[in-house]
Parts: sequence; structure tokens; C-alpha cells
Amino acid sequence: MFIIRRVLIANRGEIAVRVIGTCQRLGIETVLAVSEADADSVPARLADRTIRLGPAGGGQGVAETYLSVPAVVGAAAAAGADAIHPGYGFLAENPRLARACEAAGIVFIGPGAEVLEAAGDKLAARAHAVAAGLPVLPGGPAELADAGALAERIGYPVLVKAAGGGGGRGLRVVREPGQLGEALAVASAEAQAAFGDPRVYLERYVSPARHVEVQLLGDGQNVIHLGDRDCSVQRRYAKLIEEAPAPLLGETLRVSMRVAAVALGLHLKYRGLGTVEFLVDTQRAAFYFLELNARIQVEHPVTEAVTGLDLVAEQIAIAEGRGLRLSQAGVGFRGHAIECRINAEDPAAGLRPSPGTVTSAVFPAGPGIRVDTHIQAGSAVPPAYDSLLAKLVVSGADRAQALARLRGALARCQIGGVATTLPLLSSLVDDMEMAAGGVDAGWLERRLG
Amino acid sequence: MSEVQLVDVSLRDGNQSLWGATGLRTAHILQIAPVLNRIGFRALDYCSSTAMGVAVRTHREDPWQRIRLTRAAMPDTPLQFIGTGFRFISWERAHPDVMRLVYQRLVAAGISRFVVLDPTHDMSAVLATARMIRQAGGTEIIAALTYTISAVHDDPFYAGIAGQAAASRDIDRLYVKDPAGLLTPERARTLIPAIRARLAGKALELHAHGTIGLSPLVYLAAPDLGVSVLQVACGALADGSSLPDALRTVANLRELGHTVNVDDRLLARAARYFDLLAAAEGLPSGRPRPYDAAFTRHQLAGGVLTTLRRQLAELGLEDRFEAVIEEVTQVRAELGYPIMVTPFPQMVMGQALSNVISGARYSVVPDQVIRYVLGSFGKPTADVEPWVLDRILDRPRARELAAEPPPPSVAELRQRLPRGTTDEELLLRFGMPGEEVDAMLAAAPAARHYHPELQPILRLLRELGSRPPAQRLVLDKPGFRLSLTGGGDGARS
Repeated sequence: MFIIRRVLIANRGEIAVRVIGTCQRLGIETVLAVSEADADSVPARLADRTIRLGPAGGGQGVAETYLSVPAVVGAAAAAGADAIHPGYGFLAENPRLARACEAAGIVFIGPGAEVLEAAGDKLAARAHAVAAGLPVLPGGPAELADAGALAERIGYPVLVKAAGGGGGRGLRVVREPGQLGEALAVASAEAQAAFGDPRVYLERYVSPARHVEVQLLGDGQNVIHLGDRDCSVQRRYAKLIEEAPAPLLGETLRVSMRVAAVALGLHLKYRGLGTVEFLVDTQRAAFYFLELNARIQVEHPVTEAVTGLDLVAEQIAIAEGRGLRLSQAGVGFRGHAIECRINAEDPAAGLRPSPGTVTSAVFPAGPGIRVDTHIQAGSAVPPAYDSLLAKLVVSGADRAQALARLRGALARCQIGGVATTLPLLSSLVDDMEMAAGGVDAGWLERRLG
Repeated sequence: MSEVQLVDVSLRDGNQSLWGATGLRTAHILQIAPVLNRIGFRALDYCSSTAMGVAVRTHREDPWQRIRLTRAAMPDTPLQFIGTGFRFISWERAHPDVMRLVYQRLVAAGISRFVVLDPTHDMSAVLATARMIRQAGGTEIIAALTYTISAVHDDPFYAGIAGQAAASRDIDRLYVKDPAGLLTPERARTLIPAIRARLAGKALELHAHGTIGLSPLVYLAAPDLGVSVLQVACGALADGSSLPDALRTVANLRELGHTVNVDDRLLARAARYFDLLAAAEGLPSGRPRPYDAAFTRHQLAGGVLTTLRRQLAELGLEDRFEAVIEEVTQVRAELGYPIMVTPFPQMVMGQALSNVISGARYSVVPDQVIRYVLGSFGKPTADVEPWVLDRILDRPRARELAAEPPPPSVAELRQRLPRGTTDEELLLRFGMPGEEVDAMLAAAPAARHYHPELQPILRLLRELGSRPPAQRLVLDKPGFRLSLTGGGDGARS
């Protein structure tokens, strides 16, 4: 066991604030790695110290800062940090960072490089899921020569997916054989550009389907689940509203998914916090493995709200080599929680990013309301980074109470200076279908028209 | 030059010495527990049965749950329980069965380090208790050598009892416990080597209260004498009648060339937390105390003296104060030099007061003194004066008390309680009035978070919430004006 005393946070935005909060509560000194643009950000002011990323007088793009393994590890070494928390996005799932940490004698707060490699390569992850006995959608690697035959076997429509990464990039729905060749080419080119890996694969396209995920926590030997989350309210594969537990999911299905997720975790000897994403075929009440996210998720607060756990603290405990502090029976679930992502995006302009300067920011407070944000009046929203401004997380004794509180809380959010998703979120939570629960992953796109 | 480790006593002895054991609630402890865990303390003096009783009685909080939650929040630093081995919460003597169950439940909840303290230095009782704790799963057991000044408490006396304790496999280490802060550096230079010579290599710790300002100086001498652990407290919970301040002790030890491996940043943060907590809750901060020569004679703590003055004033006998103090010294000698730690100062004082007021010594004898003489608290360190013994025992009340039935066993207690009562609840009901346990069980679970900086604003909001709705709230001070105006239905402001 190793006690972490100083951690370098290799991230920005709300997740940096989130990690700083837990570290300070635990008595761990925080050093925030910042780009020049973030030097005066809220997390930079909250951290015990900051250290500049990137070459002196050199480039300050994402590639030279938050995405640079040498810059991040060099900053950690210079700061005397004994661990790195990567947050989500950027280098969070990059096995090169995990390896570089190991070489530098720094604890990487996340799974080992082998697991990151297995999770990052979607085809490898799919093979592990099969080996662990999880159901996967019919499909396989799309070699150009036999992709047509494979698609025929799967049956149209099929989905072309990138093997090297997720987030919607390199994804194409193909509804008839004539579209396949072009879709493969475009997806492969997109995948090459986004992940440096042109490999694509095919899977059956299921619609309507829900996106439900299971939170895992493992210590390399034992793995438990911390319940499920529904993330079906999404647009172009970007999640907008998440909730825990997933509503209107039959108990048999829910338990089966949780058991399957733990089986995959055990198969991989999973260490750390991770999420197994599933596609739920709502018509057949069947579920299929989608991917494994080997990091903390944006939507982790809804799980924290219903379990009462601090998932960042659990990550740190595992990284310190403590072993699981919880048994499965020791994880309780209480109430219901919903998270809304307040993004600097303009609903009136097709949710186009809306960078700028926040002129005013008022967030609600009260029972069952939590706001994770790095925004206050005067905060810059640079175009180079993602547009997440705040996560409004509301919980209640049941879903109805959580929704009622959420409506009130959204009405009390006021952000000026940049266009935000607030009006869209307000209209969505007022929607009858949303109130009923269990909307599918195409719902938001259909509703937006 | 040597490496010195620290044991922090803020949560137990600091709270008891300075805040009457009632200052700290579960949330206060849990908020700082992760920080205390990472400072590098060898252990924390965490709990006693008295503290557990206060949690129930004063705060309506489950003391067992408090231990479990603290353990979870600070998994690396051992938590210590201090006890005599013959009572649990109540002053009544407990059946050995009950004490065995107490130790089993404490270990299960997360206590691993135990101090065995027998106020009369009855070492056979200490060793029997240590055995019981070991069997219950205690991993570190420390025998207390409680320091006092008397005709019998000389260096050979302490060396002798130290040797008896150290010879037992159930005693892992020992400590000199100086509850009244009487130990001087000069006496430490003879006492500590005499004790260490009998320890067969077992470690010795030092725990000295700052009651008359001596302990910080003794702590400077102790490492060179072979003491490997010093017990300290943090921030507002240090100094005064508590233990020396951790930050100052560390600085002094390093100044003398000793090594202290603690995280200075976190130590300062813990001290600051207790300072803020004291300010937010209106609790006193410990301050270094001046030397008081008379104290070495009567050894009565400030609280006991204050109570005595009040009692005498109520009786119109203020002028007898000095006479009572003289009588305390004499009664203590006649009773075989009980060490002036709870419950003995109150006992000796009660008898001295009776003797002075009644005019006939030992004509009135409180029950507690009779029980002491009957051996309820263990065998007195020195023999009770024979004529005093006769005087006390030759009365009907002494015969009544001698004939009291033995304390109930666990099986007998279980028969009195509904089926399904947990061991933890059974032990609380043994030690406390049932209605207090009922009230604790009926209360909401204890809060788990506490931010001292937020307390003033929370108090203000609670006050506002308890008043009739106001249409307008204005805060006006030079350079600042805050005005809140109520909306139409009073819902918005």
C-alpha cells in the first residue's frame, strides 16, 4: 500500500474541480496542470498549486498540453506529485500515459495499461466481452473484401464503428448494401483522423434501443457494481441527460446486465473505476455489450447520489492499493437521481458550440441539488475545449420527486454571456415521454427534428 | 538524536480535558478523519466508554456507528480505546462477560489499540484485562503507568509495576500517563530510566497533561531518555489541561535534532480545523498554563476546585476553602494514595468536604468511598489507614453495599431485553438508562459532514427560518449593504 500525498490533476473544467474537492477533503495536496488559457480558471484557483503544461514559449494547443503524455508526466515529476488523476477525456484512457507513469514511478489513478489497451480497442473489448460470456451484437471486423458478405449475414441496417475510439466519431448507419462502400471509406477516414487508427467494424444496428450502463469498481481481484445509469437522452452520441437507476427496466434485465458487467470486470481483473455500456433492445428486452470506459464518467454523480459514495475517493483508495473497501452487499441504493449537462451550445442553432465569456452564473441550491461546475461570472469558455459548463444533479426519494426538483432547479439556473442548453433541458424535462421514463436513444434526435 | 512518533489525543482526551467530553459530534470527527489519517500519527487516542455515553446522552448519536464510520474514513491510523476493564459507561462494576463483549464489539467496529488503565495499579487486574482484549482481537495493548506524587509512588514502585506488565505477552508497550501534569524534567530523568530498565525492550510512550505548564519541557527531555512516542493534541484541543500542542512539539523536537516524520501541512490543517470548530461552536481553546506550586500538593484539577468554591459559597463556608484543601491531602494519604484521576478526585474531595463540614472526621461517608474501600475499583495502591478502614466499614450502609448482588452477566442482561436486541444495543442499555438509548435510536442518523466556516451562516438562516416571514432583510455596515426584498408570495427573495 502506498499513501498518495500529492496528486497532479491532468485535466480542466468541472472534473478538475470535482477531483480537487475530494483530494482536499482527504488531505491530499493538489497540483493542477493547466494550459495558458486555463491559468486563471476556477479550478486553478481552487487547487493548492498549479503547474503550466507545454513547452516554454511553445504551442499551447491541446496536443501540446492536455493531450501530451511527456508534458503531463514532466509536470507531475516537476511538481513532485506521486500520482496523476487524469479525469475523463484527454489522456484518461491512454495506455501510453499509464506506461509513462509507471516508468516515472508515479501512480496512475486508473486501470493498468493492458486494460486500457483492451478497452480502447473496441474490437479487442468486444472479444473480451465474448470471452466473458457477454452478449454482443452480431458483427465483426470490416475487411473491405468481405464487408458486404458480413453485412448480409448481420442483416441491414448495420452500423459501421471505429475500432480505435468512441464518442460518435467514425460511426455510420448503413441501411442498404449500396451505401456500404462509401460508409466504410468515410468512417475509416474519420477514424484515422480522430484516433490514428483506420480500422472499422460492423455491428447490427438496433432501433429503438436504449443506452444503459453499469458502474464497476474493482481492485484487480474483486469487482463489484455500483448500479446502472440510463444515458439514452443523447444527440449524435453526446449524452445530455443521465439518470440512476435506469427507469422502467425489468428487474430480470437489470440484474442480468449488472451480473454481465461484473463478469467482464472479473475477466479483465479490472482495477479502478469503469463503466460497461450496453445497448438495450427495448422490443426484445435483450441487451448487448457496447464498450468499456476505463475512467470516471461525466455522469458519475448520479451514481454517487443514489449510493452515497464518493467515486473519486474510491478511485484513489484503489490506486493506493487498498483493495475494495466495499462488498457488493454493502452497496445500498436509495432514491433516484438525474443529471442535466448544461453546455455552452445554442439550441436555436442546432446546438452549435457557443464559446465566449460568462457574464453571470447563478446556480440553485437546496435539498437534493448538486451542481458540479467550473463556471462563475467572468469565466472564459474557450473554443478549443469541450462546451460543458455545469452538471446539475438532482435527486429525490423517487423519480417523480427528482423530476419535480429538477424542473424547479433548472428554472433557477441563469447563465449569461453565452448561449446554453438550459432552455432545451427545461423543455425536455417537461416532456410527457421524459416524465414517463425509458425513452430510447433516438428520442432526442426525433424530438429536435 | 532519535526518531519520535506521535499519538494524537485531540478526539478523546483533548475533547475530554477541554470540552467536558461533549464538544465533538460524529460529523466533527468524520470531517477531519481523512486528514488525521494522512498526517502520520502512530495512533489516535479515540474513544472511551465515557465518550460513548456522551455520544448517546448528549448528542443522540450511535457511538458504535461513529467508530465504524471513523474507521472507514481513516483506515491507516489505529484507533485507541482507553478503559479500566471493569466498567462500561456506568460507574457500576461490570461482569467480566460484559467486558469481554465490550472488547469484542469494539474490535469488530474498528478499534485495534487498547490502553488498560487501572486507577489503583492493580497489575493482576491489568493483565487479566489485557488477556481479555487480546482474545477479543486487540492488536496493540498498552499498559498505563499513571504518574502521581505520593509517599508510595517512587521510582522503584513504577519500575516494579512496569516490570510486571512488560513480562506479559499481552502487553505490547507501556506509557507513562501523567493526568495531572505533575512530572518534571528532573523526575523524568530518574523515573523513565528506572522504568525502561524493566521493559525488556518494549516501547515506552509518554502522555503528560499541561495542567501546570510542565509537560512541554518534559517532552523535550523524554526522547533522550528512550521514550519513542509522545502524545500530543492539535490546535484548540491542545494545551491547557489537555496535552502539548503537536505543531509546537514537532518544532521543538526538530530544533533539538530529533526526527519526526509527520506531514506538516496536514498537521497545520488539522490544528486550524479544531481552531475553527472551537470558534464556530463557542468552545474554549486550550492555552499554555502557568506553573502552580500548590497544585502539586492537592492535585485537584481546576474544574474540581471551581466546584468546591461554589459548594462552599452555597453553604456560606467560603472561609473553609484552605481547610478543605488541607483535608484533601490528608484523606488521600489515609485512603492509600488513590491517583487523582476520575473518579478519585471527586471521591476524595467529597470525603474531605464531609469531614470539614461535619466536624467529625469520617462520621459521614459517601457511597463511593465505601465502594472504594470495599475494593470495587480494585485494590488500593497502599493500605487504607486501619482506623479509617474500621470507621468506614463499621456502618450499616457498608454492610448493605458489601451485600449488593454481583453485576449481571450477558445472559442475564439478554433475558431482560427483547429478542433480537443487538450486542451493541445490549451494552448501551447495560451502561445507561433505557430512555436515553431509546431517544438515540429514535433520532435521525448523525450528520456526516461539518464545515466550521458555514456555521455562522447556517445559524443565521435557522434563526431567520424560525421567525415570521420578513418582507425585507437588510445588512448594513460601512462599505457594504445587502438588501433582500420578499416577492409577492414570500417565496422568492
